[in-house]
Amino acid sequence: MEINQRFKTEEVCNPGKPSLFKCCSIKWNQQISIAPLVSFRIIFGLLMCFSLIRFWWRGWIEAVYILPKFHFNYWGFEWVTPLGNPGMYILFAIIVISTILITLGLFYRIAAITFFLGFTYVELIDVTTYLNHYYFISLVAFIMIWLPANRFFSLDAYLRPSIKKAHVSLFTVGMLRFQLAIVYIFAGLAKLNYDWLILAEPMRTWLPAKSHLPVVGKYMYEEWVAYLFSWFGAIYDSLIVFFLLNRKTRSFAYVFVLIFHVATAIFFPGIGMFPYVMIASTLIFFSSDFHKKLLFRLTGDTLLISAPNSTNMHRFRFYKPLYIGMSIYIFLQIIIPLRFLFYPDHLFWSEEGYRFSWRVMLMEKAGNAIFRVKDADKIYEVNNAQFLTPLQEKMMSTQPDLILKYAHHLADEYKKRDIKKPEVYGEIYVTLNGTPSQLFIDSTVNLAQRQLSWKHYNWILPYTR
Amino acid sequence: MKKSIMALMGNIAVISVIFLACSKGSKDAPDQGGNENFDKTAMLTYYADKMIIPGYTAFQQKINALQAATTAFANAPSPATQTEAITALKTAHLQYQYIEAFNNLTPATSATLEYSVNFCGGLTNTDLLLNGFSVDSVTIENNISTGVYNLSEYSNKSFYSQGFPALGYLITGPNAIAKFTTNTANRVIYINDVAKRIKALTDQVVSDWGIYRTTFISNTQSNVGSPIGNLVNQMAYEMDVLKGPRIGWPFGKQSNGQVFSTKVEGYFTDNSIALAVANLKNLKLVYTAGGSRKGFSDYLNTLGKQNLNSLITSQFDITLAKLEAIPDPLSNSLTAEATAVNTAYGEIQKLLTLIKTDMASATGVQISFMDNDGD
Repeated sequence: MEINQRFKTEEVCNPGKPSLFKCCSIKWNQQISIAPLVSFRIIFGLLMCFSLIRFWWRGWIEAVYILPKFHFNYWGFEWVTPLGNPGMYILFAIIVISTILITLGLFYRIAAITFFLGFTYVELIDVTTYLNHYYFISLVAFIMIWLPANRFFSLDAYLRPSIKKAHVSLFTVGMLRFQLAIVYIFAGLAKLNYDWLILAEPMRTWLPAKSHLPVVGKYMYEEWVAYLFSWFGAIYDSLIVFFLLNRKTRSFAYVFVLIFHVATAIFFPGIGMFPYVMIASTLIFFSSDFHKKLLFRLTGDTLLISAPNSTNMHRFRFYKPLYIGMSIYIFLQIIIPLRFLFYPDHLFWSEEGYRFSWRVMLMEKAGNAIFRVKDADKIYEVNNAQFLTPLQEKMMSTQPDLILKYAHHLADEYKKRDIKKPEVYGEIYVTLNGTPSQLFIDSTVNLAQRQLSWKHYNWILPYTR
Repeated sequence: MKKSIMALMGNIAVISVIFLACSKGSKDAPDQGGNENFDKTAMLTYYADKMIIPGYTAFQQKINALQAATTAFANAPSPATQTEAITALKTAHLQYQYIEAFNNLTPATSATLEYSVNFCGGLTNTDLLLNGFSVDSVTIENNISTGVYNLSEYSNKSFYSQGFPALGYLITGPNAIAKFTTNTANRVIYINDVAKRIKALTDQVVSDWGIYRTTFISNTQSNVGSPIGNLVNQMAYEMDVLKGPRIGWPFGKQSNGQVFSTKVEGYFTDNSIALAVANLKNLKLVYTAGGSRKGFSDYLNTLGKQNLNSLITSQFDITLAKLEAIPDPLSNSLTAEATAVNTAYGEIQKLLTLIKTDMASATGVQISFMDNDGD
């Protein structure tokens, strides 16, 4: 009973400060239990460990990072190259070890930095492996570096009891919640478009392929089911954060989190770990009291239930740079998904400003790309399978920046074959959300002459529906 | 703690009841017209019972005849036995085109049928000498003279010295009959070994289908590695092979018009176009399921993609017509009828795009030979 009394004292706005602004600013720095960070550290570490071992076990390290002869690197990150065999395996082993150290809270800061750098390095090797949840993991790993998540129930705190703390500033947990909120809200906003809401595409295309499912399978051809999925998904993504933030609706909202993500895992097994990452991560929305009770049961450590004081509170050494850094981070997280507004043309078609914007399972797009290399009066048609893996070819065929990168690579390759001034032309057909495949880029443009750019590529042909 | 768990459980219960109530309500409601369900089990059953199993059985018969004719030829090489053997080879090779579309289903993959019977070199081969439907006559002659070889070896060298291309070379290649005068015993053994291996693998596939059939028709998923996923992927692959090794590469599309007339399929039997036409006809049969209303074309109709369906059907017909307009032997037409070949090539490319993008998209099948996480 007494414990419960104390729990209640937290997360209440300081009544002594009347102004709303001041109230919020104080709340931001208010002391809450360290428990949510500890839970998150352990769950995140375990989940990452599992998901990396799964990736390894499925033979993807070899298939994705060792066998391909060419990689679509990120602009500005051309220095990121695969480490070969056994290099890639060693790198993965190091990352796996770092996840275990994160879970145990041993050498936490070093482990978190290693995980962030290692995981991000792997993701930067090839654009065609980009997945939103990999990006999410990189961002969370970056945030975790700065969090005092090892100050309790960790080997670090066991070995050095002086660093052990029971209370942290609210904004530490707040940053994780912010990151999740960004994911959900932008994923929701992205769904508010004509294809998704009015045409129920791509659900209308994808669901009939799920008719094998027990019980629900026979409804997969029904139009209303496609609308139900589309609208439920859009509403869920847009609003779930607000229901998770509100104490009264939280547990109810979490049931929806479970239903939604378990459903996506069943219907779209191809999305892999994403549902589990989200199910685990959204636990951070539960109150610090919830996590504190959990941790108290586990440890019985009375430090957890002591009132905040100067010895058991975690304090950062430098607040000013921290606040500036956080502000910049928050600003970037909001502006990056909105950068598409600066580009003309249909976003799903040109995909300029599409990546890093939480556009998850949003469209059905496929292409067939035929490249020709010309030199004076000579013409060579390219066999893409000789240069790219099926996955790379599939991704490249629908994304203009990858098409350009590949064209430049082709120019280099054909120069090696004694073709002095190779011109590269692409005849590419793309279908988007069930529209008949149409010419994607101007097939008379010499792509070898075009440069990568942040500006709109004017060689992308307009989309007609 | 207990309280919040109770609340959670309560919520789950309430939501489950709502869901159950909803699904029950809709079950009672009559089906709205126009949204009939497509029976994927019936589709797969049709493919298994009307196309795949009869196709393999017919192939088995042709292979038996081929083996007999090959042995007769090897035992007494003469123009008469040679003619018999050529006919048997052509017949078997032609029937093979009616099963090639099922090469990536378990029975054929575990028998390595694609590599050991009619190797096309695949799409990723970068060997400058041995590619497409090449025949490695050097290795064949070497195998014969040494008498040491292992046809089940998993290498390009081995694939290019067996199967139909090797039989074509041994039966009707340059001086095929005269070559039997030297090293006779070894030559007879080798040609019989090649025929025997085709027969053994075919028998294996036929008997495996007896077991695999149930697995095949009961899996109606569309993901990577599922029967439907595999059928669509193989259709796309067959189109890629038609565009590349069958027509485009020997035509010189990759090589600035430099023609490789000896690398066409069935080079020694002079029936490349007949083979390609049979292959494409079978692909169209897979697509339409012979008008049984159970095929991919009908599936597209059920999905409301009538326009796409008629587009694909007519592109099949156009492509077939343009392909048939090329006279055999293709090795000669590559230069003598370049315009006709080029026209057919253009139509093949259009059909390839329709199958690889529009059809795969519409059926929710990923064109990828690798399983991967996507979002």
